[in-house]
Amino acid sequence: MKFKTPILPGRLAALLLALLPVASRGAGQLNLFGWSEYVPQPVLEGFTRETGIKVNFETYSSNEEMLAKLVAGGGRYDLVQPSDYTAEAMIRRKLLQPLDRARLTGLGNLAPEFTGRAHDPEGRYTVPYMSGSVGIVVNTEKVKTPVRGYRDVFQAAHRDRIVVVNDSRELVSWALYALGQPVNTVDPASLARVRPLLAEWIKLVKVFDSDSPKTALLNGDVDLGVVWSGEAALLWRENRKFQYLLPAEGAHQFVDVLAIPAGARNVAEAHRFMDYILRPEVSRQISAAFPYTNPNAAARRLLSPDELANPASYPSGGKLESFRDIGRAAADIDRLVTDLKSAK
Amino acid sequence: MAALPPTLRFPAAGARLLQAGLRGWTGLVLLFLYVPVLVLVVYSFNSARLGVVWEGFSGRWYAELLLQAPLQRSAFNSLVVAIATTIISVVLGTLGAWLLHRYRFPGRDLIESLVNLPMVMPEILLGISLLVLFALAGVGLGFTTVIIGHVTFSFPFVLVAVRARLQGLDPALEEAARDLGATPWGAFRRVILPALRPAIFAGGLMAFLLSWDELIVTYFTASAASATLPLKVFGMAKVGLNPVLNALSALFLLVTLVGVAFSAYLRCGARRPPPTFPR
Amino acid sequence: MTPAPVARDPGTRPGALAWLLLAPLLAWLALFVVAPALLLLGCSLGERDEFGQVLWGFSLENYARVLDPIYLRIFLRSLGFAALTTGLCLLIGYPVAYQIARAAPRVRELLLLLVMVPFWTSFLVRTYAWMAILREEGLLNALVTWLQPAWAPLGLLYTPAAVVTGLVYSYLPFLILPVYASVEKLDGALIEAAHDLGAGPWRVFPAVILPLTLPGIAAGVTLVFVPAVAMFAVTDLLGGARVPLIGNVIQNQFLQARDWPFGAALGVALLGLFLVSQLVLRALRPRGALRG
Repeated sequence: MKFKTPILPGRLAALLLALLPVASRGAGQLNLFGWSEYVPQPVLEGFTRETGIKVNFETYSSNEEMLAKLVAGGGRYDLVQPSDYTAEAMIRRKLLQPLDRARLTGLGNLAPEFTGRAHDPEGRYTVPYMSGSVGIVVNTEKVKTPVRGYRDVFQAAHRDRIVVVNDSRELVSWALYALGQPVNTVDPASLARVRPLLAEWIKLVKVFDSDSPKTALLNGDVDLGVVWSGEAALLWRENRKFQYLLPAEGAHQFVDVLAIPAGARNVAEAHRFMDYILRPEVSRQISAAFPYTNPNAAARRLLSPDELANPASYPSGGKLESFRDIGRAAADIDRLVTDLKSAK
Repeated sequence: MAALPPTLRFPAAGARLLQAGLRGWTGLVLLFLYVPVLVLVVYSFNSARLGVVWEGFSGRWYAELLLQAPLQRSAFNSLVVAIATTIISVVLGTLGAWLLHRYRFPGRDLIESLVNLPMVMPEILLGISLLVLFALAGVGLGFTTVIIGHVTFSFPFVLVAVRARLQGLDPALEEAARDLGATPWGAFRRVILPALRPAIFAGGLMAFLLSWDELIVTYFTASAASATLPLKVFGMAKVGLNPVLNALSALFLLVTLVGVAFSAYLRCGARRPPPTFPR
Repeated sequence: MTPAPVARDPGTRPGALAWLLLAPLLAWLALFVVAPALLLLGCSLGERDEFGQVLWGFSLENYARVLDPIYLRIFLRSLGFAALTTGLCLLIGYPVAYQIARAAPRVRELLLLLVMVPFWTSFLVRTYAWMAILREEGLLNALVTWLQPAWAPLGLLYTPAAVVTGLVYSYLPFLILPVYASVEKLDGALIEAAHDLGAGPWRVFPAVILPLTLPGIAAGVTLVFVPAVAMFAVTDLLGGARVPLIGNVIQNQFLQARDWPFGAALGVALLGLFLVSQLVLRALRPRGALRG
C-alpha cells in the first residue's frame, strides 16, 4: 500500500523540509526512550561530554505508552526503560535483544537482591535502573490512629481524606493482599472475591492520581494514601510529618530496567550508556534527583546519611513482591475498577 | 468600510443600564479568565520548590529557566508547529468552507460530517491510528507528522467558524461582483475574503491555540527532535508542579501581552489600508 | 420522503476548477480522517492477544460490551457534562462576544486577543492554578473565610463543580470566537428597521438578533460540545478521577488495560453516534430557516 505525501503549498513544504531532522545513522547517536522525569539532565550531558555520543531523549509516562509507540512502529529506539513485568512480557515476545555482558564492566556494582530476578533470571536482557515500592503514606499531624496495613487506610473515618494512585492493577492487588490472596494469579474467581471489598474502598477515596499523588497530600486536601515510594520520599524530604510504611499484608516492589529493543541500530552506544549508568558516581546523581531505591550497592555507599534515612527510599522490613505479567486479565481488572467507580 | 456596530435602541435610561451591564459582565468574564493566570504569575516568584506554600519572593526560577536548553528547544518546536498548523488550517478550512457553501458537491452533507469527525475523535484514537498509519506508509516521525496530526484536528475549527459566517452572508454580494465583471476567483478574493476576515481571524486563533497546547496526538506523532512544549511540560509536571513551569508560563504571558499591546499601538498609529474594492 | 434538494442552500453545480480546489481537502479527509477511522473500525472487530496486541478478525464481541449498562451510563454522563458545559459557556460567552463585536473596530481584535492570552499557557499549568484556587487551603477558601467564616471550608476541589468550572474555562474561547464572528457581521440597518417598525428592544433581540446570529451560536455550540464529550485530562485533575467519563475509559483501554479493540469499539461508537446525530439534524433542519 502506498500513500501519497500530502500536497502542501510549495514554500511551506520547503520550510518544513528544512526543519526535518536529518536522519541520523551510524555512530555518535543514542535514541533513548525513557520515563519522563527519571533520567536527570546532568547525567545525559555528562555522558555526551565524555563519549561524544549525542543522546536523543524521548519520554513516556506509562509502560503501555512505550509499548504502543515501540510496537506500532514509527520510532527507532536503542534503549528503553520498562518496568520488570513489562520487560518480562517483552522478552517473551522477542522484543528485546540479548546484552553483551562483557561490555558492561559495572555489573558487579549491583546489589545481589536486584540481579537474577524473576523477569530475567539470568540477566541476559536487562540491567536494573532504579527500584521502588507502593506503600502507605500518612500525614502524622492529622492521622493519630496507628496505620499498619491497607485495611487501616480504608476506614470510614478516613472517608474523603484518601489519595491513591490511579492504577487499576495496583488497586486490585491491595484488596488481594488484604484478603491474603496471591496477587499474580488473577482470574474471574479472585476478582469476584475482591469485588465487595474494593467497592467499599473506592467509595472512601477522594483523589485518584498516578502522576503526582503527593500534591493532594502536600496541599492538605487529603491526609493519607497509597502511593509510589518516590512520591513519598519527596514528601518526607519536604516535611517529616509525612511517614511512609510498607503495608503489613504485603506490597508491590517494582524494578525499572534498561534494555535494548530487538531492532536497535546503535547497540554499542546503548551498551556504553548502560555501563555509564552503572558507575557509582553517576547512579548517585540519579538518587539525588529522584529518591527511589538505588539498586547499585556501590552508589548507595556514596549517599548521605540523610538520603539513606529516608523511609520511603529505603524502607525497613515489609513483605515485598514483584508483579508478573498477567496478560489478558489486565482488561478484566480495568473493567472491574471502571464498573466500581461508576457505581458510586 | 467598517460596518456600523449594530445597536439596540432603548429608552435612554435602559440603554445606559444595558450598556453598563454588558461592560460589567465582559469585565467579570475577563477577570474569570485571568484569575488563574495571575495566580501562576504570583507563584512563579515563590521560592518554595514544591510551590504550594508561600515561602518568600525569589527570582530563581527565572534564572533556572535560562539553563534549561531542552525546554527552550521544545518551546521553539511548539512555535514552529503551531504556526505551520495555523497557516495550513486556515487555507484548508477557509477554502473548504467557501467551496462547500458555494457549490452543491454530491455528498456534501457527508463531507461536512467527515470534517467534524476529528473534533469528536478522542485524541488518543487519532494519535494511535495516525501512528499506525505512518508506520504502514513508512513515514518516519518528525515535524511533518506532528503538523499533519495537528492540522487534522485544527482545520475543522476554522471551517466551522468560516462556514457560520458564510451562512449569513448576502449572496447578492458575490452576484454583484460577478455582474461587474469579476471572475469567480476575483469575486472570492476581493469580496468574499474581506467579508470573512473576522471569522478567519477567529478560526486561525483557535487553530493556533489548539496546536500550541496539544499533548496526546503530538505524543504519538513526534520524535525526540520534534517534541513540543506540552510534551516536555507534562513530563516535568509529573514530579509535582515545577515552579520553573510557572516562570515559563509567566514569561509567555508577558511576551504575548507585549505583542498585543504593540499591535494595538501599530493599529492606532497606522492608517488603515485603502479598500481594494472595484468601485 | 426525499427532500427537494433545490431550496436547501444556495449553490451551483461545481465545475472542474471547484473540484480541483476541493481536492486537497478531500485528500486530507481521505488520508488522515477516513483512513484512521477505518483502521479503528478494523481494530474494533478484532481481539487482543495475551500481550495486548491486536489480532485482526471479525467479532462483534466488543460492541456487545459497549452496550453493557456500565458503559451506556458512562456515555450518558459524559454527554450530560458536555451539555452543562456548553450551556454555561453560551450564557457566559454570548454577551461577551456581543460586547466585543460592538466595540470600535480597532478595539475588537485587541479584546479578542485579550480573551486568548491566558490560553498561551499550558493547560496543565492552568489547571494546577485552578487547583491552587479551589483546594481546601486555597485562595477561594481564604476569601470565603474572610468574608463569611461560617461557610468555610468549601470542599470544591475534586468535585463535579470543579470539573465543570475547568471545562467552562477551557472551552469559553471556542464559543466566544465564532459568536463574535457572526455578531460582527450583523447588519445594523436590519435592527434599525425593526426599531423603526415599532419593535422594542425586548422584541428585537429574540426576533432579529438571535436568529441572525444563530449560525455563530450553532458553530460555537458544536466547537464546545463536541470536544467536551471526549475530554479527559481536566476531569481527571480537577475531579480526582473519581467518576469515569468516556474519554477516560477510552484512554484507559489503550494506556492501562492494553485492550485496543475494545477502546477502538468505544471510539467507533462515539464517532458513529456523532455522525448519525449530525446527519439526522441536517435532515431535520428547516430549509432556509437561517436565511430569514
